[in-house]
Amino acid sequence: MNILVRELKANLRSLLIWGAIVILFTVLGLSKFSAYAGNPEMLAVLDAMPPAMLAALNMQAFNLTTVTGFFGIMFTYFALLLSIAAAMWGSDIISKEERDKTVEFSLTLPVTRSRLVTAKALAALVNCVGLLLITWGVSLAGAAKYQPDREFYRFLGLCMLALFIMQLIFLAIGIFLGCAMKRYRRASSVAVSLLLGTYFLSVLSSLDQDLDWLKYVTPFKYFDPGMLLRESRLDLTFVGLSLAIILMSMVGAYLTYNRRDLYI
Amino acid sequence: MSVIEANHLTKYYGKARGIIDVSFQVEEGEIFGFIGPNGAGKSTTIRLFLSLIYPTSGSATIFGKDCIKYGPELRRDIGYLPSDVFYYERMKVIDLLKYSASFYDRDCTQRMYELAELMELELHRRIEDLSYGNKKKVGIVQGLLHQPKLLFLDEPTAGLDPLMQRKFFQLIREENQRGVTVFFSSHILGEVQRLCNRVGIIKEGRVIEIADIRTLQQNNYKKVRVEAPGLDAAYFDLPGVTNLEFHNSTVRFFYKGDINAVMRKIGELTVSDVTIEEPTLEEIFMHYYE
Repeated sequence: MNILVRELKANLRSLLIWGAIVILFTVLGLSKFSAYAGNPEMLAVLDAMPPAMLAALNMQAFNLTTVTGFFGIMFTYFALLLSIAAAMWGSDIISKEERDKTVEFSLTLPVTRSRLVTAKALAALVNCVGLLLITWGVSLAGAAKYQPDREFYRFLGLCMLALFIMQLIFLAIGIFLGCAMKRYRRASSVAVSLLLGTYFLSVLSSLDQDLDWLKYVTPFKYFDPGMLLRESRLDLTFVGLSLAIILMSMVGAYLTYNRRDLYI
Repeated sequence: MSVIEANHLTKYYGKARGIIDVSFQVEEGEIFGFIGPNGAGKSTTIRLFLSLIYPTSGSATIFGKDCIKYGPELRRDIGYLPSDVFYYERMKVIDLLKYSASFYDRDCTQRMYELAELMELELHRRIEDLSYGNKKKVGIVQGLLHQPKLLFLDEPTAGLDPLMQRKFFQLIREENQRGVTVFFSSHILGEVQRLCNRVGIIKEGRVIEIADIRTLQQNNYKKVRVEAPGLDAAYFDLPGVTNLEFHNSTVRFFYKGDINAVMRKIGELTVSDVTIEEPTLEEIFMHYYE
């Protein structure tokens, strides 16, 4: 408990900064959307754009002139922001102890390494939930002006659930990298590179039917906002796949961190 | 029962040598000095005891229990002062000490304030604003506040001013009198000699000597320098004299044995200058390698 509380305090500032980024991002998005909202000319412009480009921007499934459509587009950007934050928190919260050489203090206390990883993982998880709630809150507040229907709220709720699972995936991968990497200084950059790599794979896979199998490789394809809107449910195959990735990463994290030398 | 027991401890970092086949015991209530130059493997040995790193081969027990398997449990009774002290920079000293204390079952508040007062620690400053010496003082308080039964001190005096060093040694002696076993690593022979009962000498990863401090002192070499007009190097050709050097009517040599033999020889001379001193640690090591 003491480790958790300390980590939460130490990471509060980071949460506030990420929260501010998400809020700023949503406000900017909404200010653009106010120009499209209920504007038929905008639809004509979009129809004239090449389909591949729309696919790459994940804009095919949505009618950009409605608030549901707008958040359908925003989903991808929220996913990127929230995942990056999760991956960085996950990798950093473990590796910073070695980077700052405080590991010679924190792990000479009467604690097991597993307890340290658990407490730190929980602290990072709290941060992820906090950022998700901020995202949800600012979305609700931003959408309220357009008096959305009930369908919108259900859609937004599902989006948040999908975002949460993606946060968990990248949090777990980040924690695994922080625990496992000998070159702990690079844990964060590897985690974020991996994340951006899978994002670009997801863009590629929407451009080319032959690359459809990539949807299993990149978490950015696990939960398609278009499908969330049409079917009002998460694809259980991908929920299962996500859980498997999370579980494997966490087991790997505990195993490697317990077995390896700490670098001081 | 030995408090610390190292059995053929070996540690390689990849191909780089850490320590090789280190075996020794530290008995309850003793102050065990562990001396060697930088990079000899002193910190590696301590980190193995604290299971911060794991041995390539061999094992170690503390209080009779395997130091890896029972590490977290054993560390309740272990205090550790690393050679370089690093804490969470953004925390205040008092918060850090309270955080540290929260991991132990007993109430450490009183002891914490006692120690902080003794070490003249400013409790309400941030760690990041502290000088090296002040961080070290935080380390001392943090390492002792839970009243450990075993102390690992890794070059503890670096960064402390002479007054603080004296207080610190006094503190360690008091802890020792209460029954605390102390493992004291240092590259300064003088402070080890002042404090320790027994010493282990480590060089290039291997323990090359374990001796009672008294025997070590008796066996110890003296560094002698005699300056006398018309002096001849052959004059000091005694048993026990090594590394004899002669330059400008000054003779330098190391001597091991009954010092009176040398004193009589010097007494027969009309000298202009004489020094007899302890050799430096490096010079002792040179002898261990002859």
